[in-house]
Amino acid sequence: MAVETVICIGCPLGCRAKVSLDKRGRVAGIRGAQCRQGEKYVLKELKKPVRTLTTTVRTTDREFPLLPVRTSRPVLKTLMEAVMRETAGVEVKPPVKCGQVILRDVSGSGADLVATTDWGGKGKGKESWPS
Amino acid sequence: MAEKVDVAVIGAGPAGLAAALAAREQGAERVTIIERSERLGGLLPQCIHNGFGLLYFGEDLTGPEYERVFIQRARKAKVEARLESMVLDISPKLEMTAASSRHGYMKIKAGAVVLAMGCREKARGALGIPGGRPSGILTAGTCQRYVNMEGFIPGRRFVILGSGDIGMIMARRLTLEGAKVEAVVEIMPWPGGLIRNEVQCLHDFGIPLLLEHTVTFIHGESRIQGVTVCRVDEKRRPVPGTERYMPCDCLLLSAGLIPENELSVKAGVELDPVTGGPLVDEKRQTVVPGIFAGGNVVQVHDLVDWVSWEAEIAGKSAAVFADRDGISFHDAVRVVAGKNVKYVVPQYISGKEDVTLHLRVTRPGLKAALKLGGAARKRYRSVRPSEMIVEKVDAGKLSQAIRDGELRVDCGMGGEA
Repeated sequence: MAVETVICIGCPLGCRAKVSLDKRGRVAGIRGAQCRQGEKYVLKELKKPVRTLTTTVRTTDREFPLLPVRTSRPVLKTLMEAVMRETAGVEVKPPVKCGQVILRDVSGSGADLVATTDWGGKGKGKESWPS
Repeated sequence: MAEKVDVAVIGAGPAGLAAALAAREQGAERVTIIERSERLGGLLPQCIHNGFGLLYFGEDLTGPEYERVFIQRARKAKVEARLESMVLDISPKLEMTAASSRHGYMKIKAGAVVLAMGCREKARGALGIPGGRPSGILTAGTCQRYVNMEGFIPGRRFVILGSGDIGMIMARRLTLEGAKVEAVVEIMPWPGGLIRNEVQCLHDFGIPLLLEHTVTFIHGESRIQGVTVCRVDEKRRPVPGTERYMPCDCLLLSAGLIPENELSVKAGVELDPVTGGPLVDEKRQTVVPGIFAGGNVVQVHDLVDWVSWEAEIAGKSAAVFADRDGISFHDAVRVVAGKNVKYVVPQYISGKEDVTLHLRVTRPGLKAALKLGGAARKRYRSVRPSEMIVEKVDAGKLSQAIRDGELRVDCGMGGEA
């Protein structure tokens, strides 16, 4: 029987849960997670770990060379590298609005790559202020 | 002639924006933010990762998204801002001298001032690492700016000294961008940052975290070639014979943050030697009447949500001060950090109002009990120095816990974590 260790990130306790798996990889038992929520997290993390990926894409503006982006929802951990590779080739032109889709269904993850700031129009992404 | 404002806020990061907004909401007419850099938001624009706003908005936002909400609100509330302007000095009558490439030399007289300058990273000088003085040694935050905003990666092979949150977040960021992170080296027996960062930034990418290790030598003449990494004993002294050479072309430092208080000290504000920030009361007033403080300038928070929250108290109080021509410093009760408590903010309270205590423990422990005035208040399965404890106490409970003008805060431990 195989045993996998998963650290819960739900609270500062950081339980190191030991999950035992039977021959077919099915969960036979969890030990060490001190709450129900922790057990749920551990099972999900073991079966289908997902992460929100944040990175940047190139812009056409030398003053504002990078646009910060994120996946619209968490993507499979195993897809992170593919998303990074697909993102590497992207260059955007202004204007961009926060939340605007930069790549739809990025790397087949089901999530979109979206901008996380406004860029262009007034102030070229640098926040100008009427004083 | 000095220009007059009701509330002046120094710094336009998350603390400054929140303080200015709160001051406007409290009814202050003219609220001006004075900011050193050319844009608003402080460090948030370079913090492109998520994890912001979970407490404040109940949403998982990135730094730029979090900043955007506050900037939009501030603009709507007609908060004024002076960018590229540096406050040089604050007089006891709250007259500020500022210099700016945009606005020239300025004298601004404020009804009340909010300090919201945030904190800065410890650099190599503060750590005293022996070795050469090659290029390629920078703080994690500087590297974050290069990678996330300016568009270049300052090396290919990294060692990160210190396991603060920014260091761990940069370990992930650099790995995603194709660089190699050899290790994160931490002198303490526990990581300096949040667990979620240890798991999602280091474990996810198989980056080793070397606890109870430090860098004892920097090799290289013009460019860093590598570092000597060494185990340390329980007194944090290097153990001879455990040295190993780790090649790298960049060393990132993520070894702690220091509240930025040169201006505060010059203005007569007294600092807490443990937090490095001003001594404050529950209204976030400092010992200088009319000077308030909130956010990382007071205490280094782990979550931006608490920075905004604390700065709101400071901004609101500043507006009240300006309006009433003064509110007194609430020093009736001294809050004392007791057993296994590193510090508590605020350091002074009136004892008559509900108060929210922010504290850190000195070491990790299991089955911990937070005690106020010796009486058990709350139990925790686990506490860690890297995770701030925030506890709201109502006035009734508070009065029971105060003895001889002191509120003693202890944290009993059932076991070592």
